[in-house]
Amino acid sequence: MQIYGPGELLDDVLQTGLCISCGACVHLCPYFATWRGKTAMMFSCDRKQGRCHAFCPKTEVDLDQLSSKANNADYTGAPMGAYQQVFMARAGDKSGGGDFQDGGTVSALVRFALETGRIDAAVLTGRNGLMPSPGLVTHSGEVAAFAGSKYTAAPTLVSLNDGIKQGYGRMGVVGTPCQMTAVAQMRSNPMQDSDFSDPVALTIGLFCTWALDARGLLAFMEKRAPEEEILKIRIPPPPAGILVLETQSRTIEIPLDDIRSLVPEGCRVCPDMTAEWADVSVGAMEGEDGWNTLVVRSEKGLKLAEDAASAGYIVLADFPETSLSHLNTAAAAKKKRAFDRACSQGLVNTEKGGRAVLRVNKQALEKMISEPGGIHE
Amino acid sequence: MSELIEGKPGQRYLLMGNQAIARGALEAGVSVAAGYPGTPSSEIIENLAKVADEANMYVEWSSNEKVAAEVAAAASFAGLRSLCVMKQNGVNVASDFLLHLVGGGTRGGMVIVPCDDPGALSSINEGESRHFARMLEIPLLEPGDFQEAKDMVKWAFELSEQIGNLVMLRSVTRLSHASGSVKLGALPENRPRARFRHGGFVLDPQEGAVTSAPVAYKHVLQQEKLEKAESLFEDCPFNTYTGPENPELLVITSSACNLYCREAIEILGVSDRAGLLKLGTTWPLPKKLIRTHLENCSKVLVVEEVIPFLEENLKVLAAELAMEIGPRTIFAKRDKTIPSVGEMNPDYVIAALVKIFDLSYEAAPADYVEKAGLCVMAGAPGRDLTFCPGCPHRASYWTLHNVLALDNRDGFICGDIGCYSLGMRETGYYALKTMHAMGSGTGLASGFGKLDQFGMDQPIVAVSGDSTFFHSVIPALVNAVHYNADITLVVFDNSGTAMTGFQPHPGLEVDAMGHDAPSIDIESVCRAVGAQTTVCDPFDMELTRDILLEKITGKNGVQVLIFKQSCALSPEKKGKPRYEMHLDENICIGENCGCNKLCTRVFKCPGLNWDEKNQHARIDEVICAGCGVCASVCPTGAITKKERA
Repeated sequence: MQIYGPGELLDDVLQTGLCISCGACVHLCPYFATWRGKTAMMFSCDRKQGRCHAFCPKTEVDLDQLSSKANNADYTGAPMGAYQQVFMARAGDKSGGGDFQDGGTVSALVRFALETGRIDAAVLTGRNGLMPSPGLVTHSGEVAAFAGSKYTAAPTLVSLNDGIKQGYGRMGVVGTPCQMTAVAQMRSNPMQDSDFSDPVALTIGLFCTWALDARGLLAFMEKRAPEEEILKIRIPPPPAGILVLETQSRTIEIPLDDIRSLVPEGCRVCPDMTAEWADVSVGAMEGEDGWNTLVVRSEKGLKLAEDAASAGYIVLADFPETSLSHLNTAAAAKKKRAFDRACSQGLVNTEKGGRAVLRVNKQALEKMISEPGGIHE
Repeated sequence: MSELIEGKPGQRYLLMGNQAIARGALEAGVSVAAGYPGTPSSEIIENLAKVADEANMYVEWSSNEKVAAEVAAAASFAGLRSLCVMKQNGVNVASDFLLHLVGGGTRGGMVIVPCDDPGALSSINEGESRHFARMLEIPLLEPGDFQEAKDMVKWAFELSEQIGNLVMLRSVTRLSHASGSVKLGALPENRPRARFRHGGFVLDPQEGAVTSAPVAYKHVLQQEKLEKAESLFEDCPFNTYTGPENPELLVITSSACNLYCREAIEILGVSDRAGLLKLGTTWPLPKKLIRTHLENCSKVLVVEEVIPFLEENLKVLAAELAMEIGPRTIFAKRDKTIPSVGEMNPDYVIAALVKIFDLSYEAAPADYVEKAGLCVMAGAPGRDLTFCPGCPHRASYWTLHNVLALDNRDGFICGDIGCYSLGMRETGYYALKTMHAMGSGTGLASGFGKLDQFGMDQPIVAVSGDSTFFHSVIPALVNAVHYNADITLVVFDNSGTAMTGFQPHPGLEVDAMGHDAPSIDIESVCRAVGAQTTVCDPFDMELTRDILLEKITGKNGVQVLIFKQSCALSPEKKGKPRYEMHLDENICIGENCGCNKLCTRVFKCPGLNWDEKNQHARIDEVICAGCGVCASVCPTGAITKKERA
């Protein structure tokens, strides 16, 4: 990982369209701010190195360094990253219920973590109309309001940075793969600040194929449904190929092809579908309505899942082999797409002082860009 | 300025050119004076306003220069002497009325005094007013020193009454703002009673209706007035010649250049070779007088500032006379003997004389010039053109810049003239992107706001000062509302015409003479024309930001936001800081990641300094105005404010 400053961040990420407005650089300093789903640089800053650049998940991301920190090993290029177990999961009786996207596993785990004191605050993403709206939650009763997928790039990590300023030291963060990457980089204290202490006690990653530019979606929807009437957004699993909008009066189906242009460039070079740098990762469960896929990666994640299950917050079940195979195929396909694109643009393992988006060992890279036909670890 | 009214005839005073003009107006028995503030003209109305009650005058700061000309003309129509005053740009504003006025003529003497700004020392153009005299076909007078600045005013009023038309008396920065010895004349005892006579024969210039129509008839009369003026100019005491009877070179000049020419001739010791014809009447040129001088000399140097006005008019005369007196060589601007832009000074005249006389002259040894340059570089601290400490504009532009940056759609601000013009520079965070005439920011925004049909999707903000709002923003605002332009107008209401010295405007409860006056509420005006209007304090930066963000997001037609906060130099604020500011050096993180000297590197209020040795910011208590804004800017909370008792 090479660390540059805000000038490079502006040149390489903000001005190239790679920024997915995760919020990692926002509220660290006065120079980066976010508004209506977009991150902006307010004034030039002439520092040679900055946390803004070090945390950004869209420039100089060294997968081997992240892997070494998380798993004590180089990055392998395995489609779903390193993990211990995969479960089917859903919210249990004690979870309190809510208007979940699928199985409610994330909300249940966050409530459980808050109620058991595993975390002192949770960084979540809500929605204000179609605009994603991050929030910092300290009581489990507040969690339900944040349930449901947003499908828009969200500045969630602003709330993490705010939480640090407010003195929270054991926060739980729920976020997309890019946000989990930023959090992992942040937790490695890349600037080697002497007064650093890890403010994060739990990371819950969300599966993500891509997100939509929030302003773009808003403009797109303006002609189709009043923003205030939208109740829920769904993207049913393939091969549906549609985005479903549920409003107070009707259900609107929009072909994904119509909105693909709203996917930020940053998502197109993202190799991570299953949020590899989280303690646990959660996604929809293919073919099983009302259930989630739960990928358990770290020891801490395993303990959380097991304890939450014992306490009745979640229900776990065995994950079907076929589903795992499909998941791997999809995750491998995302990796290949991302690295093909990034390599063709000269953004991988750049040498001679050139700045890269991604760095990874050769072996893993070759594996990821080879045909991912039926990969199954 | 008590001496303006108390000074006795025959006494000498050191007067600023504008004071001399004001005293001249008093000696001429002017009843009404109106103007709009603008450097370098403002002190004329200011000084008259101060003595208005004692002198039984009516003096006003009009809402704009056209209105000022109309107010003054009304007095003239009623048989009184009247003066209207403005800077050069103001003549552009007034010109529509003036062109009609001069067609119909005046009754009581009326003089317009434009103060031009060669070199644009306090303007954003070098446009000048002399050519208006030619266009308007009215006499033009130019004082050549401070005594003349006073004496010529009275003469101008007499001329105006002799010909029955407007007379222009033009000053420039170096006359208006420099001072000289002036011997006073007597003040008149009585003033005529005002009465507008309109019941006589329609074409009677003293008793009929006043208008420029019928044009074919009135225009002939107007030109006859000008011819009369020209004949009076032949013997005008303000046209003077000094020098040998048959000089090698005839230098013709006017205005402040008179002083530069005198100095240059003296320094070079060429008073026996060069004669100086100083003209006080520069339009129309007195042909016979000019001929007398041209006959005695074959070479002529014309020294004037900015456009070649005198040069061209002289060349026309020279061409007309050429058959009789032979051709003359004329050195001036068109042959590059004299620079074609900027202010003149003695050195330029010296350079011209050196070239024409083939002299060798060194103003200063080359190494002196070099050493002086080095001293300036090393000895004088670098100072930015910046807003004052505590200036509301800094806070306003900080918020405007941040909101447009946050909005992230390449929005921009259209503005115009005022202290807030500095928004184009670092102190305004380069937020201002267009700057033209007063009110033009709003007019441009109105136009930009209709370009969405051609794909324009940038947010558009206009800014205006409070005085500018009354001067010329209202018509543009009406236009924008009527055509539903998607713009946000921000009125920087700092409670006065701050840039020119805090002259009152129609939004205040006081007039130029210090009398109570009904104020016009900007907010009510904006609401009345149909703009959604909000008032906020730009020092409340969070609230201001949120309101502004809401206003520029979305297509809502014309939005107005009035930033209400008095100028830091306003009488009620100056020297009375609201907050005691404190900077905790232990909390300040200086250059570190998380701040990187935001307050001293970016925000840049002069009241904040960077302590290089100890690597933290500090407050300069001597100049800190205690506005408290930097406490909102500091990202770490190192700067705090405490309300003063």
